[in-house]
Amino acid sequence: MTTAAVEARDVRLERGGRPVLRGVSLALFPGEALALVGPNASGKSTLLRALAGLLPVASGELSVEGRALREWTRPALARRVALVAAEDEAPARLAVADRVRLGRYPYRGPLTPFTADDEAAVGRALRLAEIEHLAGRALGTLSAGERQLALLARGLAQEPSVLLLDEPAAHLDIRHQLHLLRLIDEVRAQGVAVLAVIHDLQRAAWAPRMALLEAGRIAAAGTPAEVLESEAAGRAFGVAIRGVGEGTHRLWRFEQRA
Amino acid sequence: MSDRPRPLLLPALAAALPLVLLAALSLGAVTVSPLAVLRSALSALGLPARPMPEVQEVIVWSVRLPRVLAAALVGGGLAVVGASLQSLFRNPLADAGLLGVGPGAALGAVLAVNLGWAQQRFLALPVSACLGAFLALLLVYGLAHAGGRPSLPGLLLTGVAVSALAAAATSVLLVAIEEFRVRTILFWLAGGLEGRGFEHAALAAAFVIPGSTLLWLLARPLDVLTLGEEEAAALAVPVHTVRLAVFGICALVAGPVTAVAGSVPFVGLIAPHALRPLVGPLNRRLLPASFLAGAILVVAADLAARWLGDRVELPLGSVTAFVGAPYFLLALRGQEGTA
Repeated sequence: MTTAAVEARDVRLERGGRPVLRGVSLALFPGEALALVGPNASGKSTLLRALAGLLPVASGELSVEGRALREWTRPALARRVALVAAEDEAPARLAVADRVRLGRYPYRGPLTPFTADDEAAVGRALRLAEIEHLAGRALGTLSAGERQLALLARGLAQEPSVLLLDEPAAHLDIRHQLHLLRLIDEVRAQGVAVLAVIHDLQRAAWAPRMALLEAGRIAAAGTPAEVLESEAAGRAFGVAIRGVGEGTHRLWRFEQRA
Repeated sequence: MSDRPRPLLLPALAAALPLVLLAALSLGAVTVSPLAVLRSALSALGLPARPMPEVQEVIVWSVRLPRVLAAALVGGGLAVVGASLQSLFRNPLADAGLLGVGPGAALGAVLAVNLGWAQQRFLALPVSACLGAFLALLLVYGLAHAGGRPSLPGLLLTGVAVSALAAAATSVLLVAIEEFRVRTILFWLAGGLEGRGFEHAALAAAFVIPGSTLLWLLARPLDVLTLGEEEAAALAVPVHTVRLAVFGICALVAGPVTAVAGSVPFVGLIAPHALRPLVGPLNRRLLPASFLAGAILVVAADLAARWLGDRVELPLGSVTAFVGAPYFLLALRGQEGTA
């Protein structure tokens, strides 16, 4: 059996004394994609940050490539796990290529000059994100969609085995959303495990697997149809959810409960 | 907006600095030909060139040289500190003044005069100013950390509060001071390099050169910090360690600089601000460019302070403020919102 790229086992996490995750377990294998859905404040982003090693867990265990998170040094972990947030907070004048190159920090640290390996990784990341032509542009001159792709490319430059995406398509129009999801599929095809928090449930169904978080617990997991049409999903979101169509063409209708 | 970094800018600044230094050595109440200054420098190095007349030798090498060197170090130090703090706070308005360093140094200096130390020992004034700056910094850091790890706005606001306290204490001491000493203090508060000797230049060099070098070595983690705290942590930058190191080094540079030259406002703001569109925001290029531009700015401003004042010297701090404040207002209007 192959080792999970990333795994959570019975993870409990508290913030400010309040439990945010209560016994979360999930595993992602290389090349798999899992959409993490759930109402606001259900713990989705917290789980992502815990997996990136940014938040300590109270109990349970997180592991990457079969090794417990606490056994990883920070730079080694940042070479395996990349976190891409919804908002790009980088300075507006920073050039796209420079922004992506900073993703090589875990490989070189503060002083070692970037090498040809780093430049090659930056080039691959820009190509994969299809923003090579923007390499010399300042971030402030990009559209929201292009900026999001630059942020994704920074994550790809880390050459991770696990890509954690927090609302990657939040500010994008439909064309850019679909573009981004197609790019993520290409990344996945290279063996990267992708865990994405996605608010838009229709979009989230892009992933073959889905997990529903509710109040810090996994309330449902399986295919998008299994999760979205479960009683748990209706309860968690407080709406009626109905599936229409078959197979990959299945869509969902959301209605306020009477 | 043109955002392509200009690779020639750094060499151009590096070439301009010696020219400005030469001009500052040559010009003044007694004007000496720059060529004569160069010849004299060569002869001092043992090369076959003609020195200047004795009086001019003294004016250029004993009076002007330490002052010009001090000006370059003060300007370079302030600009590097400004650029580093702007990256650290992710705010183009960050400056040494935010750490409480300036008002702290002023309070230290006024205390030294008030207690009579400044009259007893030569370096007592700059040393007390340094101590004042460090104490203000410790206070800012200590208070901001009192409730756990502080947020950046928390640190900034603490800096503002400590600065206000130090300024209030300075005012009280100024009222209590003998009248003939007020003038010394006021001139120092307004910033100036009049009568600064080699010991002042050495004091500045001892902190500015290693401090600026260390900040330059931290350029890459600083760059990553500008992406935001979370992204920096996710990229394995030890956020709090880097922040503390940069904060501490900035204080170690800004304290002695303020002790040597008094308050020289706007250099730390406008040098990096003007350069960012030209060299880009990456600190590996921005910091050396800021150092050179800050040095050029203060050497030129000090030259103007010597030259423009009729009989009396203008306060250096007023010259930089007269140039800096309007520039800054214009720049802010021109690009509100782009950091």
